[in-house]
Amino acid sequence: MIVNYNWLSEWVDIDCAPSELADLLSKIGLEVEEVEKTAGDTIYKIDITPNRGDLLSVIGIAREIAAKTEKKLKKSIEYKFSCENKDKKINVTVESKEDCTRYTASPLNNIKIGSSPSIISGRLEKCGIRPLNNVVDITNYVLLETGQPLHAFDFDKISGGITVRRAKKGEQITTLEETDKELSKEDLVIADDEGPIALAGIMGGLESGIAEDTQRIVLESAFFKPSLIRNASRRLKISTESSYRFERTADMYMVGYAAYCATGLLKKYADGKLMGKIIDTNPNPKTSKKITFSYDKVNNLLGMTVGKKKSKNLLQNLGFTVNSKTEDKAEVSIPSYRNDLEIEEDLIEEIGRFAGYNNIPLRFRYSNRKPVWVENKEILEIKKIMVRLGFWEAINIPFIEPYWASGEKTEAIYLENPMWSDKGILRNSLLPGLLENVKRNLNRGEEIVQIFEVGRVFTKEKEEEENVGGVIGGYTLKNWYENDRKVDFYDIKGLVEAFLEKIKILDYSFQDCKNQLFIKEQALSVASGGKVCGSFGLINQEVCKGNVFGLEFALKKLINSKKEKRFMKASVFPPLKRDISIITEKNIPFKEIQTLLDHSTKQKARIKLIDVYHANKIGKDKKSMTIRLEFYNPKKTLKDDEIEGDIKLITKKLESIGAVLRE
Amino acid sequence: MDLESLGEEVKLNIRKASSIDEIESIRIKYLGKKGELTKILHSIGDIPAKERPRAGKLANKLKNEFSELIKEKKEEITKQKSLPWMDLSLPGRKPTMGGLHPLSILSQEIQDIFIQMGFSIVTGPEIETEYYNFTALNTPEDHPARDMHDTFYLKDGRLLRTHTSPVQIRTLEKHSPPLRIISPGRCYRVDTFDPIHSPTFTQIEGLWIDKDISMADLFGTLDLFAKKIFGKDVKTEFFPSYFPFTEPSAEMWIECPFCKGKGCSVCKKRGKIETVGAGMVHPNILKSLGYGEFNGFAFGMGVDRIAMTKYDIDDIRLFFQNELQFLRQFDDSKL
Repeated sequence: MIVNYNWLSEWVDIDCAPSELADLLSKIGLEVEEVEKTAGDTIYKIDITPNRGDLLSVIGIAREIAAKTEKKLKKSIEYKFSCENKDKKINVTVESKEDCTRYTASPLNNIKIGSSPSIISGRLEKCGIRPLNNVVDITNYVLLETGQPLHAFDFDKISGGITVRRAKKGEQITTLEETDKELSKEDLVIADDEGPIALAGIMGGLESGIAEDTQRIVLESAFFKPSLIRNASRRLKISTESSYRFERTADMYMVGYAAYCATGLLKKYADGKLMGKIIDTNPNPKTSKKITFSYDKVNNLLGMTVGKKKSKNLLQNLGFTVNSKTEDKAEVSIPSYRNDLEIEEDLIEEIGRFAGYNNIPLRFRYSNRKPVWVENKEILEIKKIMVRLGFWEAINIPFIEPYWASGEKTEAIYLENPMWSDKGILRNSLLPGLLENVKRNLNRGEEIVQIFEVGRVFTKEKEEEENVGGVIGGYTLKNWYENDRKVDFYDIKGLVEAFLEKIKILDYSFQDCKNQLFIKEQALSVASGGKVCGSFGLINQEVCKGNVFGLEFALKKLINSKKEKRFMKASVFPPLKRDISIITEKNIPFKEIQTLLDHSTKQKARIKLIDVYHANKIGKDKKSMTIRLEFYNPKKTLKDDEIEGDIKLITKKLESIGAVLRE
Repeated sequence: MDLESLGEEVKLNIRKASSIDEIESIRIKYLGKKGELTKILHSIGDIPAKERPRAGKLANKLKNEFSELIKEKKEEITKQKSLPWMDLSLPGRKPTMGGLHPLSILSQEIQDIFIQMGFSIVTGPEIETEYYNFTALNTPEDHPARDMHDTFYLKDGRLLRTHTSPVQIRTLEKHSPPLRIISPGRCYRVDTFDPIHSPTFTQIEGLWIDKDISMADLFGTLDLFAKKIFGKDVKTEFFPSYFPFTEPSAEMWIECPFCKGKGCSVCKKRGKIETVGAGMVHPNILKSLGYGEFNGFAFGMGVDRIAMTKYDIDDIRLFFQNELQFLRQFDDSKL
């Protein structure tokens, strides 16, 4: 809502300077977003909360200022419809009182369309509405002043009477903005004998609108059911100053005052004359409701003692009538403009608002109570481990292109109203976002990018689950002490192994990878407890070119496979180390040797691969591997002769698979 | 001075010496022609005959010990000196380092503050139903308050949660009050993606349900929180506001930490920054859950907005571009 100081001061005496008014309004919950000083005036942009339709008007804001500064409004909003001429009568039919609780129609003739006087056009401009002609401007002027939307029809373009009714299926209307709208029976319209002439409370029709040659008009001021207007406005995608106010509930009483006020202005500034009786379908609407509240509860809920007298005064300043019922309870009559007030707590907020929120004491209740749950603790632990492994955390927007999910077994979840039309699904993997980040960073000149994200992924089957994803790409950093190289498969594998070790997944195995985001020749899946919990490897070149490697795990599965291990003391006895070099066929996987040797010795031994090399002198299809055996005994230092038997055994085993020992 | 304490003194001096010159002056002081030990050796004849052999033996033993120690120390010092020159200004071998995202860091810091205050942390689904996101929170479908939450819908009619309040309802369905919970998490609202808007954001909401809770408890808790996150000198101010799920409703603003209330570009010349939306839980909500005899407060804040204030970032999109140059700047050492 945009409003200016001078207009407000027509309605209430403002004691403070224009600059201080913003502060005064903010303190009672009318958040002033901008203050603009103009020649001789000040303009305020105020953020009005959706419950306070009454504040979308000069009078509404003036009332709040009056309440805060304990003043009365300078002008009365009482009215009486009068009529000089009863020649022309207009027929108004309201089909449903629920849809339209009050409808007034004022017929005027002798209208001279022209431009508005500067008092009107100037104020409209200040409040952000473009002046058009005197009739339209007057309706807008009254809307801003009273909060009641008005509409003027060209009387001579209405055939027969006016009916307020639901649209019939298939009916159409061309709006003032010259767009055609197909209507449904959910839409409320103003119709003449031929069809709809306006979308009730939203926008008039082009046909019946005010034109330069208009001479006779019908001025409409009405109360429409808020939810009807809101739903129609949303379905037809038209939002206007009028619909915005009707949605927030108009003031049943103000319907009459606005009509009275606008008629007066039309007489004054457009030479108009009432040519018939003003129609009013509900001249004396029931407007007041009653809410009972307890003074004790005021103090208890606000946490400060306001006092009976003060509580009562604050409510009376707002124009409410307060009748004490018992020692503690009072009944408050709420005027028609405060549709937002329904329960005791609403009144207590009013008292708190005007007593001043900043007068409420600050209190913190200390207690020894400890948190019962910290449900996301494990997520933070996983994040910290990824950081320790050198990953930077990313946070991506989880909307992705549908092609990411095309090869997957489980269906993706589609958005009804996507943010970006090409990104219509919820991510089913963290990798698309992370790969986007890698590209961006490489383009920014980063040599190596190592990033991760922990977040929800969505599929129809699993609905949503928390994943951890990581990506590494580029070259190792150039430096003065070692050669740089392309990041490769063993980088991501090492990260995965370290990750699993750190989160204490001790019992896992690698399997062939079936995830299509990876290239199967350079990718593996990790299984623990018989279930695949994630995959890693080289990213499919179709989705991301270059040597970019990724990993992705389902957190729940990881956490479920965590095992606590018994801790052992560090051994004081140094291990006995033996290196054995062998030459084997090139395509024998190391895993085969490891499986062969694991747990095969009498003394306990750890098996480590410390060198692999290919060279023509050992044969084109051969490779050399050096295996380090670390024999250890927790109870003593081993001597050479104690492992001799094991070495012989190992040699034999290696020879059995065709390995040749090198000296 | 007796020989024993002389011995200790000399050994200590040799140990402490750090240069050849120093060692040499020690040698001269004790073993030189006029050195203290030399003098003793020369005057051995003055000692009564009975003690003479023992003293002589000891003095000679000390003399040999000193010479040996001096020799060793000299070698040690020379050896140290003879290490080849190294360019110590070359950059060191830094291990690979990573770091947490600023929104994670801040979100965790905020949660930790509330954990200290006795709040539990609860989480819930990001795909929600109309019921948990709106209806159970006193926000009927045709209410204009729905405009505050422009919602992403799925094809099946469900939606992406617009706040983490649904987690509060889910928790209250399972656990009866009194309780204190914080629900952090990702939320979604249809919005443009520009410097100050994003379709997704991280929210942290709190709920404290008990008997006889008042606005004073709410304001006191929020003020304490503000002082912990922005520093103990931060000034807070409370204003009336509106949320369909609270009554009375309030907002906490803090004095702009950059201009100290004078008005600058960060606070859009207002001198203060909106930080938390809050209020007393609407009685309709508690009644429909069967907790009519309880009351309490709820509050919510956007971590992204607070991060923009705390780190002086003028474009929210930076948080989702994930550029390493940006991410490297934040301090996660407190977590």
